[in-house]
Amino acid sequence: MLWFISQRYLFTHVRQSLVCIAGVTISVLMFIMMTSLMQGFTDKFIIETVESSGHITIHDEPREAETKILERAYGDKNAVLVTEGVKPREQVKQIKDPTGLIRKVRSLPGVIDAAPMVNGDVTATYGTKTYGMQVFGVEPDRQTAVTTIGEKVTDGAFHRLKKTADGIVLGRGIAQTLGVRIDDSLVLTSPSGGRTIGKVVGIFDTGVTPVDYGRAYMLLNPAQTLLNKKSIVNEIVIRLSDYTQAKEAAQQIESICGYKTYSWQEANENFLKIFAIQTIITYFITGALLVVAAFGVLNILIMAVLERVNDIAILKSFGFSRRDVTFIFVQQGLVIGLIGSIIGLILGKLSVEGLRRLPIKMEGLVKAEGLLMSEHLSTYVTAFIATMVVVVLAAMYPARRAAGYDPVEVIRGAH
Amino acid sequence: MGHTDLSVARTVTAALSSPPVSASKSRDTGARVEQAPPLLQACNVHRLLGTADLATQVLRGVSVTIDKCEYVSIVGQSGSGKSTLLYLLGGLDRPTQSDSNGEAFVPASRVLIDGADTSELDESSLARLRNEKIGFVFQFHYLLKEFTAQENVALPMLKLKKWPKSECLDRAAALLKQLGLESKLARRANRLSGGEQQRVAIARALANEPAALLADEPTGNLDKRNSELVAEIFQELAAKGQTLVMVTHDLNLAQRARRMITMEDGTIVTDQVLQPSG
Repeated sequence: MLWFISQRYLFTHVRQSLVCIAGVTISVLMFIMMTSLMQGFTDKFIIETVESSGHITIHDEPREAETKILERAYGDKNAVLVTEGVKPREQVKQIKDPTGLIRKVRSLPGVIDAAPMVNGDVTATYGTKTYGMQVFGVEPDRQTAVTTIGEKVTDGAFHRLKKTADGIVLGRGIAQTLGVRIDDSLVLTSPSGGRTIGKVVGIFDTGVTPVDYGRAYMLLNPAQTLLNKKSIVNEIVIRLSDYTQAKEAAQQIESICGYKTYSWQEANENFLKIFAIQTIITYFITGALLVVAAFGVLNILIMAVLERVNDIAILKSFGFSRRDVTFIFVQQGLVIGLIGSIIGLILGKLSVEGLRRLPIKMEGLVKAEGLLMSEHLSTYVTAFIATMVVVVLAAMYPARRAAGYDPVEVIRGAH
Repeated sequence: MGHTDLSVARTVTAALSSPPVSASKSRDTGARVEQAPPLLQACNVHRLLGTADLATQVLRGVSVTIDKCEYVSIVGQSGSGKSTLLYLLGGLDRPTQSDSNGEAFVPASRVLIDGADTSELDESSLARLRNEKIGFVFQFHYLLKEFTAQENVALPMLKLKKWPKSECLDRAAALLKQLGLESKLARRANRLSGGEQQRVAIARALANEPAALLADEPTGNLDKRNSELVAEIFQELAAKGQTLVMVTHDLNLAQRARRMITMEDGTIVTDQVLQPSG
């Protein structure tokens, strides 16, 4: 019965109602489009970075800083020993007994595999061009078990590293910058003076610019030689069955192995912070749109209430309670929200599909053919619930105002 | 419309729903009347409008009892408190319980509708009581313009939830037909003439077969012909045992009632039983 009245009120002023519904539709549509776009970009970056770099990395830094020798000797944190004419010995960081540690880590629940690695900066020279990059010395089989880098090789093949002792697999960006192709040879020089010739056996393309422009893979032994880190492993890369559990697993592994262990979230903390800020900005903008739509609902319902003061009085005179009157106007907000949201959700879905098909070439932090649109059910559910809540809240004020009218005062005023 | 409308009014008697049998009997047998509570009762009713020093005392200790099947008119000058009394008797307003100094009136200022003290009921219970027992007709029709005449009449029935929607609409159609508006059922309220609108308002007030029909200047906005029509409808309703309380400035209309209360400055100055005119 209340619905009978509210829908009649609502559709008496069709144009006003349609404008109001359009406002809600646009806010839902924008929320879905912007969230999908931002989420698509974030997902691409996270997935490609995580999958090509591993879920967890054990570094060669001890978990807790060792107590200084002077502190140990004198029991004073501020103890200073002045020495003259002594050249400090160069300390080489490394993970001790990497094979034993890998065995231990692999036995942990949720761990798929672990791979040893040595890495360091090198300069690649090809003809007159030079390029600074990071070389990762790996065991190809193990590496492809912990990362998807093997699948990202578009020219050549990752497993060719096994058969080519001086082979190197380069990121697409490095190859393009240097102008090298498969089977070309580069001169690799490390800061410690190591020098070798690397033959390009593969070029990978992860779509993540920092990876494609910054990394090269070699076999573990030649890399150790090049970097002057003979028999040294300074990182162990781990793959989990569930990458979302990386933070907890990293803490567990760190406590077992005694080395600093970083999850992919910690390793990419800066990027993730940027994404978080972008998400907040997205929510802020779409939230503002939603508030504007809510003001539309508020406005139309205030007008409706002012226009129907006499109706409210007479409804109350023949038995409608405050609650009934509140419902009549809240229901109008509810219908506006419901119709606007449903249309917005449908248009949002269509827009996401449409934008995904747009032939836009993107090359920034991530590289993609077309806009990266990521769809999650939660986006649609959030859009719907947030809209309904805001619209109903907006409808509450005029509805309560309507319910508060004293019929006697209204009738006296009309006399 | 004149003749047709007046003839319509004459047929209302036969067509409008009969009053409850018990009410009719209670009029005939004095002993049973004493057992049942009065339909409407005002006991030392005070009504202050405004607050503190600015409060205006509209009613000053009014006491009146209206039994079932009575046809009462309330007259008086503007500001005498007659409409206020009517709203209080219909549960649309509540009596003031204490004076501007905060001292409770003795005896308590209260209104009872069929034995229920309106001051003790919460807002929704009082609304329910109005829906079940009271029908209001105002000077202005207050029809909902987005709804047809039939829907306007059906609204109180829909609120009562005693009948399914289709039956409410059928009953509304029957009521309107009895008031000579059978050709206007589907017409929007704002497309009816003044007289028609007021008849629809009367039909709406009668929709839930109320124990009491309360009318506040029902002919105040009507021309002579339509006023006469409304007066005849009321007369016929009263003849069939419908309890009717009417506030009016029109002495001719007031004298058609069986009892006339005159108010002045918030009090009842006379309460007289009228002789039937003929």
